[in-house]
Amino acid sequence: MLKLYFLLFYEFTKIGIFALGGGYAALPFLYYMQAKYNWFTVDELTNMIAVSNITPGPIGINMATYTGFTTAKFLGAIISTVAIVLVPFFMTIIITRLFTKFQDEKCVCSVFEGLRPAACALLASIGIKLLIDTITSRNELSAITIDYHALILFIILLIPFSFFKKNPLLTIMAGAVGGIIIRSLF
Amino acid sequence: MKKASLFEIFKIFFIIGLQLLGGGYVIVPLLKKYIVEERNWLTEEELVDFYAMSQCIPGIIAGNIATCAGYRTRGFLGALMAIAGIVAPSFIIIIALANILSGIIEYPVVQNAFWGIRVSVVILILLTIKDLWAKSVNSKFTYTLFSIILICLLILPISPTLIIILSAFIALIYGKIKEQKNA
Repeated sequence: MLKLYFLLFYEFTKIGIFALGGGYAALPFLYYMQAKYNWFTVDELTNMIAVSNITPGPIGINMATYTGFTTAKFLGAIISTVAIVLVPFFMTIIITRLFTKFQDEKCVCSVFEGLRPAACALLASIGIKLLIDTITSRNELSAITIDYHALILFIILLIPFSFFKKNPLLTIMAGAVGGIIIRSLF
Repeated sequence: MKKASLFEIFKIFFIIGLQLLGGGYVIVPLLKKYIVEERNWLTEEELVDFYAMSQCIPGIIAGNIATCAGYRTRGFLGALMAIAGIVAPSFIIIIALANILSGIIEYPVVQNAFWGIRVSVVILILLTIKDLWAKSVNSKFTYTLFSIILICLLILPISPTLIIILSAFIALIYGKIKEQKNA
């Protein structure tokens, strides 16, 4: 058990340091964590992401608390949440001390420029894998077949939501309603 | 400027945390209202500068800005109160919801709802990729970097940490080469 707490702390500290650019940047790390440790299933993780999106608070914190809680109950939630903010907390204090006035630190920022395409590619790989995972299913012979119900829901949701400003709450509500209707009628 | 009490710092960031919905950028108007206009803990210029700077510091932007404002007001303890305040609502609500959900997840209607919600999550991720792409993949260099990383990731299960470290090196070297060319 102690080892589990330590691993949680280690993994979430890494996310705190390396997930750059908002809550969604943590997703590739979480899916990687899922594959590596199997603390929760892919479906559970996707559910947790959905809940983190529609509850108040920074998405990154929500996801850390939730995945920590799912893995190792209350103490797990505390460890993950503390770990994800720990390094940035001290870095922010150091920077706040160093600069009485903040200016563009050219060198640091140019590195971050280069990291953005990497963060985008990381998220894209997760997006592609999840999309394939969602609209296909495996039958008894483990042959891949298309899950037409999911494909139809995907198309129905994609068309309106790609035209408007991103609205996580509405997108998730529509998915829930669509899921209930499609799954119970067909 | 009146000195803020530690409890007030916690309280204000708790209230801000409670109102953060839909990610990232909504925090700026909230901070402007509570921290700049009502309390003078940061000036508007400091807020704008720090927001720009926080894009270049690892970590959750809301947490970093809270830390900065707390530190400016009451030093280390202030920073601690601020980060605790912004994290607390998330923590409480998620733990409560996790308990409720684990009790009802077996019901078919809840299962069906979450089946549909998974499709929504895919769409939200795709839309985020689209936004990120528009902001970050805009030159030969970024396009090449993006393609190589994506292809590698689709074939092999590489650790995201490794990808970020390697990309930082590549970006640093590329930046230096470009500087020399311009000089």
